Amino acid sequence: MLKKLALIIAVAGLLPAAALAHGPSRQKVKEEIEINVPAAKVWAVVGNFQDMGWTGVFTKTEGTGGNEAGATRVLTLPTGTIDEKLNKYNAESMMYAYEITNVDIKVVPVTNYSSSITVTADGDKSKVEWKGAFYRGYTLNDPPPEFNDEAAVKAVEGLYKTALDNLKKKLEAGG
Amino acid sequence: MPVVRPTGILALALAFAGAGAAVAQEALVTNQPADSLSVVDLAQMKTVAEISLSGKPAGIALSPDRKTAYVTAPEGKALIEIDAASHTIKRQLDLGGGPLGIAAHPSRPEVYVADWYTHKIVVIDTEKLAVVGEVAVGQSPSGLAVTPDGELLLSADRDSDQVSVVDLAKRAAVATIKVGTRPFGITISDDGTRAYTANVASNDVTVIDIAARKVVGSVKVGRGPYAVALSKGKGFVTDQFVGTISVFDTQTLGILKTIEACDHPEGIEQSAADGAVYVACWGDNKLLKIDPVELKITAKAEVGDGPRAFGKFLR
Repeated sequence: MLKKLALIIAVAGLLPAAALAHGPSRQKVKEEIEINVPAAKVWAVVGNFQDMGWTGVFTKTEGTGGNEAGATRVLTLPTGTIDEKLNKYNAESMMYAYEITNVDIKVVPVTNYSSSITVTADGDKSKVEWKGAFYRGYTLNDPPPEFNDEAAVKAVEGLYKTALDNLKKKLEAGG
Repeated sequence: MPVVRPTGILALALAFAGAGAAVAQEALVTNQPADSLSVVDLAQMKTVAEISLSGKPAGIALSPDRKTAYVTAPEGKALIEIDAASHTIKRQLDLGGGPLGIAAHPSRPEVYVADWYTHKIVVIDTEKLAVVGEVAVGQSPSGLAVTPDGELLLSADRDSDQVSVVDLAKRAAVATIKVGTRPFGITISDDGTRAYTANVASNDVTVIDIAARKVVGSVKVGRGPYAVALSKGKGFVTDQFVGTISVFDTQTLGILKTIEACDHPEGIEQSAADGAVYVACWGDNKLLKIDPVELKITAKAEVGDGPRAFGKFLR
């Protein structure tokens, strides 16, 4: 699974000097999954900003600041690292919002990425929703295919799906 | 059923409402991924029409009589002219580059479009629907606003961290003012004295004295501020990355309240008549109504996917 994801998000090619602007149209990805485990148990795992082990995607999470707004983490993938910052943490509504502060678009082909993860109770079950907002990797007009809108959406969708599937399996197996 | 004719005060009230200029009746919301424009009836807070567009519409401005909407399509690289009453596309002008921010002159048939990629503002005569001039500004101009007297155009030059002041008679930038980092939306007060930029990367709003061409203050807000509305002596700021509206006092520049709003709030504008503030929620596909006194969300309308409403969208 890790290999497949690495393939999805690993992109090749040389880049022009990074511009500050972003692509013309912000992209949106939303994935959700139902888990047959109570929400509190799910949040106990998902709600730890400093451990993304539940995704089965990142090999390491290193960070500072715990679950306080302003906390940071560095996620490691086989292809490189992603720097992220926690913008909002609400234990009561079981959600947090974060952004990517630094990533090479060869690792994840997105720019200006912000996201939130929410756990909702549904009786003894729960629902996890992961939403992302971002621009494509190439910041000017006429992007090469590996850095266009579709490539950006595919990478983020692949990440969310793989991670949520992994979370469901892990928690429903009692892990 | 007998027809009851309104008489006396009621008839007067109806006639006044029919005249319609005072209270904002509709919001025209650009839905970028949906390629459409939602027409929201503000009295009912309900979408009454969705106009199909193309080219990923984002920016919007209205003609002085508010009968015509001008929408930028950054991916279509075009300006789309829409008849707001009949909900039909009238004409389209190909612009090239990356048209995004847009503002209309308060009295002349002229709109200004910021080109995100070629770092200029194009002047468009809306009678001919043709480009009649251009003004070089800083890097990636984003939000635009015209002073109420129609003399100056202010451009938030996002990647130069500055505002360009453009003299519209000369069609030239006559001053630049350094603001916070990555200014995106810019809003001018009704009396034309101050401008407010929402600075996406420094998480603050810069307050500018327009006549003095000087920064007079700044306000720390939530992560990723997008745009500012002004109502009842308060500023309302959409904090994209934390889903809130930061409300500040325009005199003291102190934060009054942080309203929990929605996923990625973006375009925001106040109704000229009653001061109600309307917010487009990009993530949730909703238009929110905020009471500017109670500082509470009082109504929500469903709109198309990915609403941006970047500009003046109330008519």
